Amino acid sequence: MSRNRNSDPFGDARRTGPRAWVERVARFVRDHRRVAQDSVGHVSHRLPTSLLVWVLIGIALALPGGLYLLQVNLAAIADQWQGRPGVSVYFRVGADADAAAALQRELTRDARVERVELVSADAALREFQAFAGVTDALAQLDRNPLPTSLKVLLVDGTAPAEFDLLAARIRAARGVDEVVIERTWLERLQAMTGFVRRLGFVLAALFAVGAVLVTATSVRLAIESRLEELKVMKLVGATDAYIRRPFLYFGLLYGLGGGVAAAMLISAVLLIVEPPLAALVGSYGTALTIEGFSMAFFGGLLLLGGALGVCGALLAARQRLADLEVV
Amino acid sequence: MAPDVGAIEFHNVTKRFDNGTEALREVNLRLDEGSMTFLTGHSGAGKSTFLKLLLRLDQPTRGQILVNGVNVVQLPDTALPSYRQHIGAVFQDHHLLGHRSVYDNVALPLRVAGMRERDVARRVRAAVARVGLLAKERLLPQHLSTGEQQRVGIARAVVNRPRILLADEPTGNLDPDLSRDIMHLFEQFQQVGTTVIIASHDRELIESLGKPIVELHQGTLRSAEPGPVHDDEATSEPQQKQ
Repeated sequence: MSRNRNSDPFGDARRTGPRAWVERVARFVRDHRRVAQDSVGHVSHRLPTSLLVWVLIGIALALPGGLYLLQVNLAAIADQWQGRPGVSVYFRVGADADAAAALQRELTRDARVERVELVSADAALREFQAFAGVTDALAQLDRNPLPTSLKVLLVDGTAPAEFDLLAARIRAARGVDEVVIERTWLERLQAMTGFVRRLGFVLAALFAVGAVLVTATSVRLAIESRLEELKVMKLVGATDAYIRRPFLYFGLLYGLGGGVAAAMLISAVLLIVEPPLAALVGSYGTALTIEGFSMAFFGGLLLLGGALGVCGALLAARQRLADLEVV
Repeated sequence: MAPDVGAIEFHNVTKRFDNGTEALREVNLRLDEGSMTFLTGHSGAGKSTFLKLLLRLDQPTRGQILVNGVNVVQLPDTALPSYRQHIGAVFQDHHLLGHRSVYDNVALPLRVAGMRERDVARRVRAAVARVGLLAKERLLPQHLSTGEQQRVGIARAVVNRPRILLADEPTGNLDPDLSRDIMHLFEQFQQVGTTVIIASHDRELIESLGKPIVELHQGTLRSAEPGPVHDDEATSEPQQKQ
């Protein structure tokens, strides 16, 4: 047994060795089990207050959580687009019809191309007339103003750099007037995803501070209500860590409850928006799939809530317990 | 000079508060291990300050306080919990937790020390039985008389088998018979080797017990009588225990 003679009047400085370590770990586990049970009791005995704290933290977590889901789903849509881009090839008006057919045959043999559809100038005119309802106006024209075109669908996973290579090759073909890589929407979608992601980060930071402050305030109230007990604990030799421990558990329980509340709020919002969203997506011939709302997401909410709760509790405990006068 | 193992020594201890009041002035004193000593004096004489300094609830303005040869004034904050676990303290207003039972109040120091719950139960029952409250261990303090509350405070102070037992006016609210019972209880702890220091202004009661008395008057040590209390004014510089 070692002893620091200048700081240990009663000669009970920390023992070392395996037995001492086992005893220390056992004591640590005992203390935590006891404090965890007390904390659950404390939180459940003050259910109205606890519910209020859970809902507040839940709201604070639900908004960035919801934005995260939005961003994940936008990114998923963007990914789907990115895998199957299209290229539209427009020939000069009045160009030789064989040129378009020749290019179609050539592109069909290209490994990057899944399908090539030739739209003749006449077919394009009929489609335009049906779509725009301007039959009379077009009838006034002495010739068809629309070009022959090719709609090229590329195979899944074609690298973006390949778009430009292919476009350059097509542009050099006979009779080609213009080549359009159809990725404008993709770029817009990606920009929107980036915006939502950044907004999510900013809101997550702001609401995380809010969650920490809500927890800190609640824990501070708990500390104030037990001040007399804490003074007595300090008097009988409780360490700062021992005194702080119940409040860290309060923070953890408040945070975990807030995570559950956030998951419930997000579920409720999804239930409300899912039918109209499904109808909208269905009109494009696609089934609605919400990406990201998984057990991992739920676990992440719990972890985040718990971590923020502990941070809030630490903040409150450091502020209030640092200058605790014993008697 | 060899250090006095087990002794409590005050060397030139002065405590001056921020408002200029001197609660203790150049106090020199040594109490032997296992002794029982009464600290007396009028209200404001410095008795409570003396006990607070010994518990390291406050720091002296000047001087050294040695416990087992270690200057507790210089104890780092991290060593205070362990130090206080060896000191039992009883207060006139008990400092009991109103929403906790007698059992839980007495168990507090043991739980703080990390004791197993079955050992806690055994020790608490022994301490509560010793102060005659076993039948009331499940009651809240508010359902006890003042004397019973004081005995709960004593049980809590001794349950962890402290090496030093401090009591600040422990009989202040009690009738003479009950006061005498409480004092005999303290004597029992002294008989098993605990150093007991009791601050009290009840001169009649403490003189009847025939124990050493230290009298404080306006912060200075006026007399030490009778028994093994040493007015240490003439001692040489204290030695740090090595």
